[in-house]
Amino acid sequence: MAETTATTPIKLPKKEVQKACWRFVFFSHCGQNFERMMGMAFTHMMVPILKILYKDPEEYKKGLKRHMQFFNTEPNLGSIIPGIAIALEEERANGKPISEEMIAGTKNALMGPFAGLGDSIIVGTYMPILLSIALGLSEDGSPMGAIFYIVTWLGSILAMRYWLFMTGYNLGLSAAKTVLQKGLTSSVTRALNVVGLMTIGGVSASFVKFPIAFAYQSGEMTIQLQSIFDKIMPRMMPLVLVLTVYSLIVKKGWSVNKVILGLLAFVSAMTFLGIM
Amino acid sequence: MSILQAVLIGIFGYLGAKRTPWFFGVTGGWNTIGRPLVAGLIIGIILGDVKGGILAGAAVQAMYIGLVTPGGALPADINLAAFIGIPLALVSGGGPDYAVTLAVPLSFLGIVIFNFLMSFNAVFVHRGDKYAEEGNGDAIIKTHISATIPTFLIRFTVIFAACYFGAPAAQALTTAMPEWLGHIFIVLGRMLPAIGFALLLRQSLTDKKMIVYFLAGYVIIASFNITILSLAILASLFAVMDMMYGKEAA
Repeated sequence: MAETTATTPIKLPKKEVQKACWRFVFFSHCGQNFERMMGMAFTHMMVPILKILYKDPEEYKKGLKRHMQFFNTEPNLGSIIPGIAIALEEERANGKPISEEMIAGTKNALMGPFAGLGDSIIVGTYMPILLSIALGLSEDGSPMGAIFYIVTWLGSILAMRYWLFMTGYNLGLSAAKTVLQKGLTSSVTRALNVVGLMTIGGVSASFVKFPIAFAYQSGEMTIQLQSIFDKIMPRMMPLVLVLTVYSLIVKKGWSVNKVILGLLAFVSAMTFLGIM
Repeated sequence: MSILQAVLIGIFGYLGAKRTPWFFGVTGGWNTIGRPLVAGLIIGIILGDVKGGILAGAAVQAMYIGLVTPGGALPADINLAAFIGIPLALVSGGGPDYAVTLAVPLSFLGIVIFNFLMSFNAVFVHRGDKYAEEGNGDAIIKTHISATIPTFLIRFTVIFAACYFGAPAAQALTTAMPEWLGHIFIVLGRMLPAIGFALLLRQSLTDKKMIVYFLAGYVIIASFNITILSLAILASLFAVMDMMYGKEAA
């Protein structure tokens, strides 16, 4: 427990918490490395906070050391964790029974789940949805799609990071419980998944190509292989290609490099035969 | 390509890397400037060919749309793929498909650089530990910010050099390339985006039955002339229905 000489409780000004939030937004990955990942970024974000909370130099030093430890999460959704950590530090500074281990343990316990959630919801689903819409808008070379992505991604994610950070701070540990509630996240994940799968399906229809050059010529008549496939179903072959690559990777366990080499061999053979 | 253009592309390449604080950190850098579509816009503006930049950027983006970079595990470095692949494709006149094919080997080169920096940066952490021991928080902040310098030096130098010195070589290579080889490149470049979508499918299909949504989206766009935005709205309606009727069935 912290030794507090102050009789009046220390309350962090809202402005300081907001500043910490922006420090984390800007600097979360600056010194990222294999040994501690974002550990130093966490300390960077905490320094001014610890300075306010701990007037005792020994407590301040202990605070610096406990945040230099390994920390790694998905920074967008995981922005709730530093908020929670600040709330815990504030309570500790005010003499509440919060041990050093509890602060470190909380960070360690939350970083994994939020990394998993963030990677699958934000980076794995939300970002591809925005990018697919953007690709659709930029299909003809117009800059609209790129601008759309910049505005929607930055706008929504920065707002979310700020909101999650402040929510983490305001609610402390109960915030994590709310977000990690199984029902809520699984239905959000599923809804985003449906939207993601459909838009991505649509974009792959316009971006994956399976160009067949082969044409059979007999007197006046030419039969183009491509147009036959198109008559069965428009853009059928690219779909076959995507599903084939998918099953090679998932069912056969092929690495991406192997798929690329396989495609290279396939295309070379097809070109040689005059089909593609 | 002029020196100034190569310098600008190098700077934006650095801004679009991980470990840069300038533009809202990871959110504005790696996740925004670093996306090939956005990079294509920026490179297009710098090289005076916005349309070409966007087309090449979109093609490379499609290939990497399913790429998630959990932690430090980077399957492919999109940053070099975009900031070297797109400009070289533009100046050599090879077009979008050429950019995709060029992006693949570059993305592997990028991993070497990425892993080197991820290991090297531990140096700063150890200095940070020392300052923590001394109770010097301000020095930790300074050390942490200085940890962005190696990233700048390496990213900027590699991208600048590849763009400036590589442009004539890429140009010479494309003109000297036999037609059949160029044809293979073009066809391969058009097919490679399939990998990006397959990877995305792998991570999204936690429930295999959900593939019907992917197929629905594909067939709708392939058969009807509607925009992706309309499809996204349609998809949201499907999501609402999935939630309403999904619960009933359960």
